[in-house]
Amino acid sequence: MEIVSGGVSDVGRLRSNNEDCFRIVAPLQLFVLSDGMGGEAHGEVASAMAVETVTKHCLEGQENHAAPLFGEPQAGLNDHTRRLASAVHLANKKIFDSAEGHPEQRGMGATLTAAWIDGTKLSIAHVGDSRAYLVRSGTLQQLTSDHSLVAEQVRRGIITAVEAEESQMQSVLIRALGAQADVEVDAEEHTLFVRDILILCSDGLTRMVTEPEIAGALQAETNPTRAAEKLVALANEYGGADNVTVIVVRLEPGSRGWFSWLRRGARKNAASNGSAGGKLDG
Amino acid sequence: MAKLSLMFQDKIVKEVPVGSRPIGIGRSPDNDLPVDNLAVSNYHARVYFEGGRLVVEDLDSLNGTFVNDLRVERATLHDGDSIHIGKHRIKVDATGDAPVPWDSGRKAAAPRINETMVLDTKERREMLQQAAASGERTQFAAGRMKVPTLIVLNGRTDQKEYMLTSKLTVIGKSAMATVRLKGWFKPHMAAQINQRDDGFYIGPGDKVPTVNGSPIQGPVRLKDGDVIEVGGVRLNFIFRE
Repeated sequence: MEIVSGGVSDVGRLRSNNEDCFRIVAPLQLFVLSDGMGGEAHGEVASAMAVETVTKHCLEGQENHAAPLFGEPQAGLNDHTRRLASAVHLANKKIFDSAEGHPEQRGMGATLTAAWIDGTKLSIAHVGDSRAYLVRSGTLQQLTSDHSLVAEQVRRGIITAVEAEESQMQSVLIRALGAQADVEVDAEEHTLFVRDILILCSDGLTRMVTEPEIAGALQAETNPTRAAEKLVALANEYGGADNVTVIVVRLEPGSRGWFSWLRRGARKNAASNGSAGGKLDG
Repeated sequence: MAKLSLMFQDKIVKEVPVGSRPIGIGRSPDNDLPVDNLAVSNYHARVYFEGGRLVVEDLDSLNGTFVNDLRVERATLHDGDSIHIGKHRIKVDATGDAPVPWDSGRKAAAPRINETMVLDTKERREMLQQAAASGERTQFAAGRMKVPTLIVLNGRTDQKEYMLTSKLTVIGKSAMATVRLKGWFKPHMAAQINQRDDGFYIGPGDKVPTVNGSPIQGPVRLKDGDVIEVGGVRLNFIFRE
């Protein structure tokens, strides 16, 4: 499997500063995205601190597997997922401590959604209302739950998903980095399939662009950076009310080896069978 | 467009069209279809489109919702059906097209709190309680956790039942699938189930699954008791107490 990725962050059309931050660490296949909040420029500080801390902690973990882990380790998770969850706990602590030490930073916080790919295993760690999706067989599968008040109300059956989309309370989070001394981190693992497309995005995308449109754009554009640009452009076209950040990761069949060559041949045949069927219709 | 006509002693009291938003029915005046009768709960039932079909759902009302004289918690509605709530009857006119589903087309721009904010634990609890009290329809009361489960009815799989604990469950022959299909010529990745905030959605993989006999068109939310067929297996989706 070959992994290609790209990302774009944009201020949007209404905001004057970009509080989103992302990083792609290609040698590790680590992808980190954060959306900051807080007055003045503190949202930017928080999201940059979150991304920096998570990246650094994972890099350290790669060099030294015995490096200390933060937070309650969850049972049944592999090393990468544990490390990633630990990194998010550490980022929370850093932002919280910084806000405690600097009164002007009070209320500063950030979301964090991170993905780490190891072979066919995908580790996800997540806090807040940024999202991770997997496009598989043309369908967008959501890999994260929003830690927002409206999403929690939907989970409890108090309001419907449609009501949540129309709610004025969408920006109210129930979990974020920096709000409290410790934070509950969602960590999960998934198995990847060839041709899966992973995306991480801030709410500036998902509030502006519908899921079918996101899936469509990702399937139409095979270059990950251009796909991310296209999604950002769509969000801006629809109003660009918030900062928009998108990371696109594509898992492509490896180009080397007789096995992949054989499989590619088989697929070509399948494709030509499909078009033959089409000709009959026409 | 589909419409609901509230009748009392064979006279039409009120008519409402059913669009893409759910129609709330109940005694409280903020319902789309208020029914002024003491036998009716404040938020008694609602009617909405799901997968192109009109559905009525009882919101744990005291005296129940009846479709063609059968008490229902949830039922698909057909043209000419009658919903009885208290002493009132609601005539269903399901002719006309289903509205555009919520997830296609452009999103409506919602007015909103612009700056993101975080609630602390106490605020969160209070706001959720308030919302629950005003909504009167909390489905998941504390201590009544229901476990979503797939039970294998027919076909060869590696287990007889599966608890859906992950955001993403794959059904297929692949060694990486959660629900592993056995036998020759089985699809590698037949279908997938995605856990969303409002429930579990089944989507196509290499195959298009059927739910209760009808092939799905795009992701479909699974309901308690639904029967899924894909790749030569039949699975029963249930919420286990």
